[in-house]
Amino acid sequence: MPVRIWRKPLDLEKAKPPKGEIHIIKDRCKGCGYCIEYCPRKVLEESEEINKRGVHPPQVADESKCVVCGFCTAVCPDFAIFVTEKPCEGGC
Amino acid sequence: MNEQVEPPQSEEIRIGVYVCHCGLNIAGSVDCTEVAKFASQLPNVVLAKDLRYTCSDQGQETIKQDIKEHKLNRVVVASCSPRLHEPTFRKACEEAGLNKYLFEMANIREHCSWVHLYNRREATEKAKELVKMAVMRVALLQPAIENEVPIKPEALVIGGGVAGIQAALDLADTGYNVYLVEKAPSIGGRMAQIDKTFPTMDCSICILAPKMSDVGRHPNIKLLTYSEILDVKGYIGNFKVRVLKKPRYVTEECTACGDCTKVCPMIAPNEFDAGLAVRHAIYTPFAQAVPSTYVIDRELCLNKENVVVCDKCVKACERQAINFEMKPEEIELEVGTIIVAIGADVFDPSTIPQYGYGRYSNVITSLEFERLINAGGPSGGKLIRPSDMEIPKTVAFIQCVGSRSERTGKPYCSNVCCMNTIKDALLIKEHWPETQIYVFYVDIRAFGKGFEDLYRRARKEGIIFIRGLPAKIIEDKKTHDLWLIGENTLQKELYKIRVELAVLSIGLEPRKETELIQKLLTLSRSPDGFFMEAHPKLRPVDAATGGIFFAGCAEAPKDIKDSVTQASAAAARAGILMAKGKVTVEALTPMWVPEKCKVCGLCVKVCPYNAIKLDEESKKIEIVEAACAGCGTCGAECPFGALVMRHFTDEQIFAQINAATEIDADKKIVAFCCNWCSYAGADFAGVSRMQYPENVRIIRTMCSGRVAPKFIERAFARGAAAVLVSGCHLGDCHYINANYQTKKRVERLWKKMEKAGLNKERLQLTWISAAEGEKFASKIREMQAIVKSVTPEEIENAKKVFEKALEP
Amino acid sequence: MRKTQSAVVEEALDVIADLEKLKDCFECGICTASCPVHELLNGYYNPRVLLEKLFLEKTAITNEDKLWLCAWCYDCYKRCPQGLKPPEIFHNVKSLAIKREITQPLKKALTKIMKEIPLPLTTLHLCFHPERAGIDKQLLESIVKEAYEKISSETPETNKHSDEKVAVIGSGPAGLALAYELAHKGYPVTIFEQLSEPGGMLRKCIPSFRFPREVLDTEINRLREMGVEIRTNVNVGESYEFQRFWNEGYRAIFVAAGAHKCRELRVEGAELEGVVHALEFLSKVNSGEPFNLGERVIVVGGGNVAVDAARTALKQGGREVTVLYRRSREEMPAIPWEVSEAEKEGVKFEFLAAPKRFLGENGKLKAMECIRTELGEPDKSGRRKPIPIEGSEFIKEIDTAILAIGESPDVSFLPKEVELNVDGTIWINPITMETTMKGVFAGGDVVTGPATVIEAILAGKRAANSIMKYLGGE
Repeated sequence: MPVRIWRKPLDLEKAKPPKGEIHIIKDRCKGCGYCIEYCPRKVLEESEEINKRGVHPPQVADESKCVVCGFCTAVCPDFAIFVTEKPCEGGC
Repeated sequence: MNEQVEPPQSEEIRIGVYVCHCGLNIAGSVDCTEVAKFASQLPNVVLAKDLRYTCSDQGQETIKQDIKEHKLNRVVVASCSPRLHEPTFRKACEEAGLNKYLFEMANIREHCSWVHLYNRREATEKAKELVKMAVMRVALLQPAIENEVPIKPEALVIGGGVAGIQAALDLADTGYNVYLVEKAPSIGGRMAQIDKTFPTMDCSICILAPKMSDVGRHPNIKLLTYSEILDVKGYIGNFKVRVLKKPRYVTEECTACGDCTKVCPMIAPNEFDAGLAVRHAIYTPFAQAVPSTYVIDRELCLNKENVVVCDKCVKACERQAINFEMKPEEIELEVGTIIVAIGADVFDPSTIPQYGYGRYSNVITSLEFERLINAGGPSGGKLIRPSDMEIPKTVAFIQCVGSRSERTGKPYCSNVCCMNTIKDALLIKEHWPETQIYVFYVDIRAFGKGFEDLYRRARKEGIIFIRGLPAKIIEDKKTHDLWLIGENTLQKELYKIRVELAVLSIGLEPRKETELIQKLLTLSRSPDGFFMEAHPKLRPVDAATGGIFFAGCAEAPKDIKDSVTQASAAAARAGILMAKGKVTVEALTPMWVPEKCKVCGLCVKVCPYNAIKLDEESKKIEIVEAACAGCGTCGAECPFGALVMRHFTDEQIFAQINAATEIDADKKIVAFCCNWCSYAGADFAGVSRMQYPENVRIIRTMCSGRVAPKFIERAFARGAAAVLVSGCHLGDCHYINANYQTKKRVERLWKKMEKAGLNKERLQLTWISAAEGEKFASKIREMQAIVKSVTPEEIENAKKVFEKALEP
Repeated sequence: MRKTQSAVVEEALDVIADLEKLKDCFECGICTASCPVHELLNGYYNPRVLLEKLFLEKTAITNEDKLWLCAWCYDCYKRCPQGLKPPEIFHNVKSLAIKREITQPLKKALTKIMKEIPLPLTTLHLCFHPERAGIDKQLLESIVKEAYEKISSETPETNKHSDEKVAVIGSGPAGLALAYELAHKGYPVTIFEQLSEPGGMLRKCIPSFRFPREVLDTEINRLREMGVEIRTNVNVGESYEFQRFWNEGYRAIFVAAGAHKCRELRVEGAELEGVVHALEFLSKVNSGEPFNLGERVIVVGGGNVAVDAARTALKQGGREVTVLYRRSREEMPAIPWEVSEAEKEGVKFEFLAAPKRFLGENGKLKAMECIRTELGEPDKSGRRKPIPIEGSEFIKEIDTAILAIGESPDVSFLPKEVELNVDGTIWINPITMETTMKGVFAGGDVVTGPATVIEAILAGKRAANSIMKYLGGE
């Protein structure tokens, strides 16, 4: 057998991947769904609500999965979404 | 070249027979003088002698002189397996001016004296018949001249661990071009993971890293990392290898500055650290990696297929070395020799539930220990226990986890664990002298140079060795300490010892890829799953297949020193071939007899090598000698006898069958064994002195694919009680897939027998590898029931059914 | 040449004891450290040493009384790196001894069992099985009787009497064994039993054809004679608050409540009439209630309970009784000997298959849909995980399905200071057997999950020693 990997790596805490904070400007959204479709971590989903333009804007399904790749910002035709990196907890 | 050297038709056949005592190896169970006397009365035999050691200079000299003095034109030596000494005697014949294809051996040691140790009478009778079979065959042998094949002066080394590195460097330094193919992104293998080496306690990576960079910049070495072998074709001297080079997505522009890793958002456990530390999607497995070029793990990377979602690394790379467009590349190599150095995997102890590995965080493996105690590892060299990151004050080592155990299917000793544990224990003592250390063992094997000294040192340092393995480990739920419960077998007392960290000293096992490489290169494996060498003592690094050599743990578990030694040996062996520049191949190819051929094309279909070409227009068959490997399955398939297999002609094999069935045929088993696996398996039974009944007569063919139905029919027509056809395991055939033809033919015969009302049990088909001596012996034992149950009427019936097979 | 008698014995041994395989043993001691009897008899019985004697003293081995002290739990086999089966190796030698009419060692062994093992008669029936060696039934009975009377006639040890009261929750083998030990040493012990009769699994679930209830009654009566008080129909946690133990002056509590909760099978149709839990089925049959099984019965599971249920079902009139297990024979937790007994009686075993759903008509079970499985990588228990093979479903028409897919303890009555393991068993200090609550000890199935009687008895004895230490007795 190749080595079976089952443990939590010991330095997981130190290696902290970046955490994103997602900002959605709901009323700019025209509901194209690109951000939901292209997010590699499946962070976003369609919301129930209806915005000014009469479409369902995206909402955050699980923010902890976001690693701030910024692709949602890049694909949004309407500049309706952007991500900022959360400052480290505990001020590291 | 290659044309038949016909002897003058009028030539009288003059055979000399030499019966070897082999000291007492043969003479102990066989009356050699009587066998020689018997031989002297056989047709065409002009002299028969028994010699103490026929393979000695003196013995060979006798043969040479006799050839000259008595004008012998055929020689039979009845001694050991032709797999051992046929080349020796062939050479002696040649030196006396006799074509080496006019020599034949009768295997009365491995197939007779050693397997019938306690029945001198029967063994002697069997030996006589084996000699008779050889004499009948030798009379029909024809001289031949061998083809020479050039050997490409380039080598392939598979595996970039310390063995592969050493072999590649040795060959490259000798001046040959070497391709070193490694599956992982970097060379280094297991040795790179280890902290210190025993018994000298050198830092492992410190002594390995210089060698690694030597490989990286050697002008004669082409390093192919992150690459896998797809396919191997050809034969000794001329292998064609296809290699898949996986894309790294980082070009050689990379300076290994590490800026990309810092920005990569994705992390996963690092395989190099046994999962104890993390790496990013773009990474280098360890600091000293060669090549130092980074690699992107696309499974983990956010960028799937063609969409670049995240370009953080691209932006961070000043040299613009990152290229997501890279594609897998197929490379074709042509090499003369191959060194297999694929190393070993480690045992997964989670299959032993009572030790709790995978459930108890403080039960670790010896490989995890190496990463924990290594300064470059996840804890910076501080031995911490995973549950609370504290330095343990008591540590236990448990030996033989996944070694020497029938239950886990690893009955062998893994060779390195005892010394590795002693080294590890001393390392702990060196850093934290107050640590209480227990080693639970069954035998401490400190057999190498300097090993015993290290063992003594460990005892002097106060490491406690307890004989007796724990029956179970229980975890204290609160402290995550571990209770080890077992029997101290020297004191006959139970122990219950509490420790803070338990290290399972795990064994080594064959790499997962061993099977694949075995198939690609048609190699053999021993019962333990590691590759099998051509001869355990005298050709320990050669594979049975020409031009292929082994180095390191691929052949058996071994330590670094032995791996390096073996690697140098393998390099030297490969070097000998390449320095010579050519090798002769046996003249075993078929000859086409146009008069008999009906141009049906059956032979073309069964040839595993596409070595037979049929020209529809001119109605001609062409045999491509260079591509033919000589299995003979074409000859067996041809219904018209239009393909004559040189050195294994129908007449020669019929002569053997006839001789074997002359007396008491109704009590006999005629066995057809392929040279590479089954015959070698029968040899192995002999070497291991596995006893089985005397009534089997083995006829060797290169491949079981050579066994034409008419051979089997002839045996039954001559009244044989049973016939055994035996070849390599399906998929392991040394002639790609020729043994599937064997299967097909035997199945057809079974149907025929059933239809004719014969007991088809009398024809047995089995697959026996070179390592399965016991399987051969027990097959013969098992077949006794069939032999006994066959009635005289059944024998007669078979004789009638197969009557036709008696026609010449 | 005539063979000497010893040569004959040697030959017979070689054949029946598979000495060739025995030579694989490199004496790691795992068998001995796994053996409950080794500890129960303070090392008198040592399977490793006994195995070694098999080829060191071949001819004398049939005279060895220790052969008869194997309790057939197969714990040694389960862990032996070479996969040796000491119970069966010893069994072969014992059979040879009986053939040669050597019974003295058996007598000696029985005396040892009577003297030193709590609940000796129970263990004879359920663990040691001297009858398996092929000894004449009457002869065996007389030997047992002789040994039992010899012990009973001996005046019990006059130990100092202590006033420190010990409470035992559960009257199964672990609880009874602890009471037996402590009563011997003069401690006042009270057993609290939820059911109306004491005995735990011994009474409730073990089929009476394997274990006559009179034996159990004899042993319990003997305990009572020794001064042990048994209070039945006490539901600790409900009719009897846990706190009351301390209030009533008990200084130590031993929790030996067993594992009586059947694991649920979460598949469609499990609520149909005709799908029953094995423990429910066994306890009904054992209490004499009629149970209409129909003709075709499937038992789902691979443990001892499954095997007991299957054998009982066969005796209850099941015409076709099949045990369905999702792994292979090798992985079965049931004692191999019991499995082969069941097979001899006519129970069929179907390996590598698992139930997928139950099919019914009008709320009544009609058939079961099963799926073939194959073994994958080892799971957390270290056993290879069964993986269903898509598309391999098949239907079996059945009248009753008995579920025996594992039992777990029900310890909801315990105060939360007593911490549990993830699987619902009680966590104890493996050496002292104390739980996380001071003065509360635990042992038997409630700690280990379903296990053998001999292991429960060992737990009782171990806990007794530990409690005595705790109470300052030793």
